[in-house]
Amino acid sequence: MTAVTEQVPKQQPPVKKDDDTGLVAFIKKPIVARLLFPTLFIALWLFVDGLEISKVFPAPDRVAQFMWDELRLETLARTNLYETLGLSLVRLFSGFAVSMVVGTAIGLGMGLSKSVDAFFHDWVMAILAMPALVWALFLGLVFGFGHTGPVLATILAGIPFVIINVREGVRNTPRDLFDMASAFGVPQNRMTRHLLIPSLMPFMFAAARYGFSVGWKGLVLAEVFASDRGMGWMIKFWYDAHRSFAVVGYAFFFVVFAFFLEKFVFDKIYERTFRWRPSAGAIELVEEEVEEHFIDALDPEGASTLPKQIRED
Amino acid sequence: MAHIKIANLRKEFGVGDDKVVALQNVNLDIEGHVFVSIVGPSGCGKSTLLNILSGIETPSSGTVDITQDRHDANPGYVFQAARLLPWRSVMDNLLFVQPDPDAPEARERCQRYLDMVHLGDKGDKFPGELSGGMQQRVGIARAFAVEPDVLFMDEPFSHLDAITARSLRRELHDMWQATGKTILFVTHDVGEAVELSSRILVFAKGGRLEDDITVDMPFPRDAADENVAVAKAHVLKKFEDLDLVAT
Repeated sequence: MTAVTEQVPKQQPPVKKDDDTGLVAFIKKPIVARLLFPTLFIALWLFVDGLEISKVFPAPDRVAQFMWDELRLETLARTNLYETLGLSLVRLFSGFAVSMVVGTAIGLGMGLSKSVDAFFHDWVMAILAMPALVWALFLGLVFGFGHTGPVLATILAGIPFVIINVREGVRNTPRDLFDMASAFGVPQNRMTRHLLIPSLMPFMFAAARYGFSVGWKGLVLAEVFASDRGMGWMIKFWYDAHRSFAVVGYAFFFVVFAFFLEKFVFDKIYERTFRWRPSAGAIELVEEEVEEHFIDALDPEGASTLPKQIRED
Repeated sequence: MAHIKIANLRKEFGVGDDKVVALQNVNLDIEGHVFVSIVGPSGCGKSTLLNILSGIETPSSGTVDITQDRHDANPGYVFQAARLLPWRSVMDNLLFVQPDPDAPEARERCQRYLDMVHLGDKGDKFPGELSGGMQQRVGIARAFAVEPDVLFMDEPFSHLDAITARSLRRELHDMWQATGKTILFVTHDVGEAVELSSRILVFAKGGRLEDDITVDMPFPRDAADENVAVAKAHVLKKFEDLDLVAT
């Protein structure tokens, strides 16, 4: 075997062709690529602003100045940024919590029972198909200006996504793991805690992410039409005041808030909840250990006596 | 001592025109420290038999009794795929099926069996961080760690490469010898069955038990050994005689 191995011409390891040099390599760096988009966006914005197509088109520096003033509580509106954002967040989290609890209960029922699924199916589809604008107008007419309309709009916007995700989660529970647990006689409560709930987590997480972002959009729309406070109302206030830089400024507050929420809340929860999902590096490391172990097991007299080329192969 | 008694066992799936007979008229008596392999072509009811014995499936008719010193025996199961909870560490996977996972002796026992499959230092890893062979080792350790009276194994090495499977067969044999369990081992690999078993049950399509072969050779057996090759040829000849070879 050694002789045969020695006759085989030693293969050269494939050389990675490095075409990317200079500027291309620099642009391909993830951090550069990530910063490239906002840079190009601002450049395009400045270019369009320079064309002077409209007197009310907001210049970037005017928007930035407005945002800075709002942050320093210097505002013409009757509520400042923090009060506005705080109120909207209370409404958002209230509606989101109700969507998650009620949506999870209905989703579980639909996943477990065909008749519950049949009962709710068309309703869920109807709510899903309804434009959020219709909810906003309707709830404004029914409940007037207050908390009820915006909170209900948040619930109605988010709950179909929670229901559908949880239902799919229940339908995709790993049957083979439940069979394994029952073959070992694992009690039901332990199965629920360690098997059912963790298997639903990816679906619950998707439900929370969708429910939150869609609920947020529903809330803002409802605040435009059915509230006298909140982020949506504030955007309408600046719209009525004919201040386009303020409308864009508040839109950016949204973007910044959504970014922080994604980066520092959802991503952190995701990392913590799904830390069991392996990184490619970890698998590679353990595989290498395994190969060594097997070679030693197959040749207990001394793995080192194996020809080096065979071991490497 | 574990005792498995099967009488007139029958299992059907589906109804009407879709009815499929998975097992029929199976009668068996297995007792003591034996390693029994169940071989046969695909769809002959091998896995169904294990599923019925372990309680995952119920028989259509007939009786199954698994006792240990006249009490209900405690079973363990090793599946074709490791079937580990991916969101729990290796140690927690073993504890998950323990009768009392919070007891300190449960953790000690699990650690002992992880050591036996050479994964003593991998208890805090998640299954996804291990290779397929290592995951199957964890599955074996999990089954042994419940200290079962009877161990059911359903083609546990069929997804693994030849080197890994060979290594695991040796470990399994050593653990069987060390613990004195009764093992029922489903495989489609006749060589594997001859290498490991004291008894081989041959099933045919339609779920009939066609032959019950005693393999009377000393352990440990090496696949390269001439006697093992002769025994394997003998079992394969039985396959041909019974017309079980896939065409």
